[in-house]
Amino acid sequence: MELQAIHDTLTAAGVAGLLGCDEPRPSNKKEKDQGRSGLPFLMVDPAGIVPLLTACRDMPLLRFDLLIDLTAADPAADGEDLWVLIQLLSLKHRHRLAIKACLPKSALSMPSATAVYRAADWHERECSEMFGITFEGHPDPRKILLPDDWDGYPLRKDYEFPTEYHGISCE
Amino acid sequence: MSNSTSDQALKAHEPSYSTEERRTLPSGEEEFFFDVKTSDLEVNMGPQHPATHGVMRVLIRCDGELVTGAQAHLGYLHRCAEKIGENVEWLQYLPYTDRYDYLAAMNNNLGYSMAVEALMPGFEVPRRATMLRTICVELNRIASHLVAYGTYGLDIGAITPFLYAFREREWIQSLFEKICGARLTYSYIRIGGVFNDAPPGWLTEVGHFCDVFEEKWKEYRDLLALNHIFIKRTAHVGVIPKDMAIDFGLTGPMLRGSGVDFDLRRDMPYMAYGEAHEAGAFDVPLGEGEKGELGDCWDRFSVRVQEMMESIKLVRWCLEVIEDGPIIGDVPKVLKVPPGEAYVGIENPRGELGHYVHSDGGKIAVRCRVRGPSFTNLSVIEELMVGTLLADSVAIIGSTDIVVGETDR
Repeated sequence: MELQAIHDTLTAAGVAGLLGCDEPRPSNKKEKDQGRSGLPFLMVDPAGIVPLLTACRDMPLLRFDLLIDLTAADPAADGEDLWVLIQLLSLKHRHRLAIKACLPKSALSMPSATAVYRAADWHERECSEMFGITFEGHPDPRKILLPDDWDGYPLRKDYEFPTEYHGISCE
Repeated sequence: MSNSTSDQALKAHEPSYSTEERRTLPSGEEEFFFDVKTSDLEVNMGPQHPATHGVMRVLIRCDGELVTGAQAHLGYLHRCAEKIGENVEWLQYLPYTDRYDYLAAMNNNLGYSMAVEALMPGFEVPRRATMLRTICVELNRIASHLVAYGTYGLDIGAITPFLYAFREREWIQSLFEKICGARLTYSYIRIGGVFNDAPPGWLTEVGHFCDVFEEKWKEYRDLLALNHIFIKRTAHVGVIPKDMAIDFGLTGPMLRGSGVDFDLRRDMPYMAYGEAHEAGAFDVPLGEGEKGELGDCWDRFSVRVQEMMESIKLVRWCLEVIEDGPIIGDVPKVLKVPPGEAYVGIENPRGELGHYVHSDGGKIAVRCRVRGPSFTNLSVIEELMVGTLLADSVAIIGSTDIVVGETDR
């Protein structure tokens, strides 16, 4: 199913928090727009992620039963938002859905998706240690890849590399 | 990393034994049972335990031989692959992709290259390059499954199959050495195609390998997969039902071992796989619960063994249809990728390898996310190991066939 059709199906079912589709577009020199290639995204409101994912998983037309990936991105050091990116896959209909939610850097908190997909557990732990996002309601919010006493969020653009770690010089 | 275990994560365990019990036998004699008072023991499996397939630690809580809780600790092999991706040029990142799943480096090269190509509108990979890619990727899948096959035997006490498996893997490695000069970290598949054409006689040797491997494969199957002791150790152990496999987001042989009929190569075809499937070049083997229950360790193992043969069929098909032609498209030395974002998932030997790449039009990626199949596949063991015997927990970890380089990246 194409992204627009998925969007319309969700809208028809009355799912809240949809903010539209972000389709690839050709470049436009007049408006100084470089364009965008690649993948279309469904833009959503992070606060409503749980009902949205539940609808994506359970609606017979969509049936996105696998959560493939959940991660974040910091598009710009001086930007105001982080992106949370979710990739879903339907085994039955053999289609994919890419979801993007913008979280303001001043309030990095959103509901956890672990109640819908257990696959989200480890992905959210990684996402939260790398970007500093809090997933409310996560059952086990420990660090996963980094040591427990690691400071800072390494995948943020404003991250400063440490000069030493437990007396070991990193320079 | 701290050694403490949070109780909320390890499932609470209530001992079911009594400390003293007495009963009268039919003969009139009295019999006493005295249970030694035991307490749960926390054991670290790893970070160097060979059965963990890399530097990983599983903290196990056990009551005698019974595992009552398990917690995986990762990160010992974390090499900041994603951060490096934001600091080096597009082409420079390619050698780093070799190093996450180092047993299937060709597949990683392919995943990354395809993700970058998805950002270049209208770009097409030449046909000969696609065929060479497919041959290398499928040969690498066989090599990777051979390691999975051998080390799984090793994990549960069979040393011989490992030595046999490495004999054929050695041949694949020398084939790769002839085409790209490297034996483990190839960087052979480049953005736009492949970097070197097959040397004279190489394709003939690949065909010869297919013939020899087909005979050897039967030996492998009989030696381990159909071995009575092996079946006893793996059937009915570590059962993952269909729903659980889907809920945990498992992919690849882990998912198919539970009987879910899904393979990206067939169901969401990329490169020439769609054409290959139409030509009947490969099937998708599934777990059927043949020796035990659907989704047990034996099923997952059996799927991998059968997939080797499907890969041989795919390589043969490629050898039939490959034509002369260019091997790489027109890609500049200093690559500037048009702005955009793309996610491409491909079928690696261990499941779906996904790359999310984001370009702002420059020479360096803004974000380079790697979704490694081992990471998600491993997350199931914490649940799976509870309630099993200690010896079975080794069989369960082995059946997930993880590569820690990929879980930690």
